[in-house]
Amino acid sequence: MSEDEKKKGGFFQAVKEFVYGVAAHDSARFALKTRASMEHLFILITMGDMLGVPILPPYYSLRLLPYVVPQISTWKRRMLREKDLTDALA
Amino acid sequence: MNSVVVLILGLIVFFVGYRFYAKYVDTKIMKSDPKRVTPAKMYMDGVDFMPTSKNILFGYQFKSIAGAAPIIGPIIAIQWGWLPALIWILAGAFFIGWVQDYSTAMIAMRKDGASLGGLSHKLISPRARIILLAFLYFYLLLIAGAFGNVVVSTAIGLKAAPIAWLFLTIGGVLAGQMIYKWKKDIILTTVVTVVIALVGIWLGTVAPSDKIIGASLANSRWLWTIAAFVFCYFAAVLPIWRFALPINYVASYIVFLGLFFGIIGIFILHPNFTLPAYTNFSIKIGPLWPIMFVTIACGAISGWHSLVSTSGTARQLENELDARPVGGGVMFVEMMLALFALIIAGTIYASSAEYGAAIAKGPGAIFAAGVSKFLGVLGLPAETGRSYGSVMMIVLAVTIMQLVIRFMRIATSELLSDISPIFRNAHVGTFIASILGMILVLTGWWQYLWVLFGGANQLMASLALMLVTAYLMSEGKPAAYAFYPMIFMFVTTVAALTYTSYNLLLKVFTGAVKGEALIGNTLMGFVGIFLVLAALVLAAEGFKAFKRYKLMRTPVAGAKT
Repeated sequence: MSEDEKKKGGFFQAVKEFVYGVAAHDSARFALKTRASMEHLFILITMGDMLGVPILPPYYSLRLLPYVVPQISTWKRRMLREKDLTDALA
Repeated sequence: MNSVVVLILGLIVFFVGYRFYAKYVDTKIMKSDPKRVTPAKMYMDGVDFMPTSKNILFGYQFKSIAGAAPIIGPIIAIQWGWLPALIWILAGAFFIGWVQDYSTAMIAMRKDGASLGGLSHKLISPRARIILLAFLYFYLLLIAGAFGNVVVSTAIGLKAAPIAWLFLTIGGVLAGQMIYKWKKDIILTTVVTVVIALVGIWLGTVAPSDKIIGASLANSRWLWTIAAFVFCYFAAVLPIWRFALPINYVASYIVFLGLFFGIIGIFILHPNFTLPAYTNFSIKIGPLWPIMFVTIACGAISGWHSLVSTSGTARQLENELDARPVGGGVMFVEMMLALFALIIAGTIYASSAEYGAAIAKGPGAIFAAGVSKFLGVLGLPAETGRSYGSVMMIVLAVTIMQLVIRFMRIATSELLSDISPIFRNAHVGTFIASILGMILVLTGWWQYLWVLFGGANQLMASLALMLVTAYLMSEGKPAAYAFYPMIFMFVTTVAALTYTSYNLLLKVFTGAVKGEALIGNTLMGFVGIFLVLAALVLAAEGFKAFKRYKLMRTPVAGAKT
């Protein structure tokens, strides 16, 4: 792709992203937030041991562990982050 | 003066402010560094903290800050003449507006993505955070009241508006259902739901509200106040994807298309200003200083933007260099929107008397008449254009209102749940917020309510600038570019709120008002006084923090360097 074509693609890409930002970015963020809160609950139920809350017998937790592993680091970040009321405005 | 000259002046201020002043602050004072890891990358959790393209954030920030306020403020402020309003919009955005939006995003990024509450805790004191939260609650209540009034006056003044609003709501709810439940294609969903909203706009002209429900109901403030707050109630308690977000999604296309073609219409028609450049220093709502400076809030400077910049945008910026286009650039775009509103108010009426008669009905009617005129150049019938403008005004107001009521519900739970667990209930918090907002709408005179909202909004901005100053001092950076705007905004807004509250309470205590106005004046007066007192305590806390940072930076005599 030539430099000019890149620039042209860049401009249309920027317009597309801008329209997405105006119209749909918020919806995508809230969809993610909803999923994240479900995920919190699920991981708390299955992996509660990590926070000292043994809810499911460890056997089932171990069976589920491989599926939960990819989420654990972001889950911990969200759980342990200091939160403030003004966060709710975003 | 010709309206195109005003737009060109705006573009010059935009170019100089963004290209030179903002760049100077960004490179020499903030020293933004593309290599520095932003919270979006450092704390990436896939939800709140997520690196996002600056173009997307540009759109997100614009959508979040550009509500009804940049349009209504200039329409009211033109009562002092269009020249003072024009000067304040240009100077306010150049010296203060972008400074706040950009700098709050930057300090939030530098402080691990903390929002305003967290920043005031870290940079000033724990007490400052608590006072700020209480301040925020009443500030948001004034937003709900002021914007609620706009919705009600528009629904009464323009009989096509209610049907258009109803169809937009139906389109929005359908969009949510199609996207999230039926998993339909987004383009199909968009086309279907936007067409439904457009049909509603046309239908409003053939079936106005007075023909459907009768003149007395169509002119009832009670009915439309209840309608506005029931709408917000649903937005606050229903899952956000079910009601609030999809309606905002459909509304964003309606608003965006209207603004885009409206500005083209201005260039084609390029009308001259017909209203006087300057009328009087003092008018019915108060003197030019300080009242005009708070009447035009968004478009020049608005505290709301600092809330968006810190709690939303700063956590998504993937590069420090993006803060200038997203924080600063969008503010200048909003300034252009305020100029658009100023042109509408200043050019569509032949005389001040005509304008005076129109403003008495509320700003929605003026905006709708302007949209109708400028879209009319492109071939849209005048009645349909007015209906289009009315629904634009309503959705711009109501999208912010629903967010505000939702936040007030959360704040009620957070601040009062220790007193009684009942406040944790979502319906209780929403009900309290809605009832307070309804009382303001039904009992307060809308122009005073607007001034109080503007005062609280600008005061919020000066408090945000105080946080920026505290940050700059704590880092040993030059703070003048934020400090002097902060002082100006603080003095102006405290004066405006005190003046307005004094006038309101004077009427109460001298018995000059009775009935509904007595309730409205008392409530607005005491809310104004509370905001002033909270701001004074916050200022005292802030200056203590400044002193602390100054001492930290002063070399101790005899100490080795």
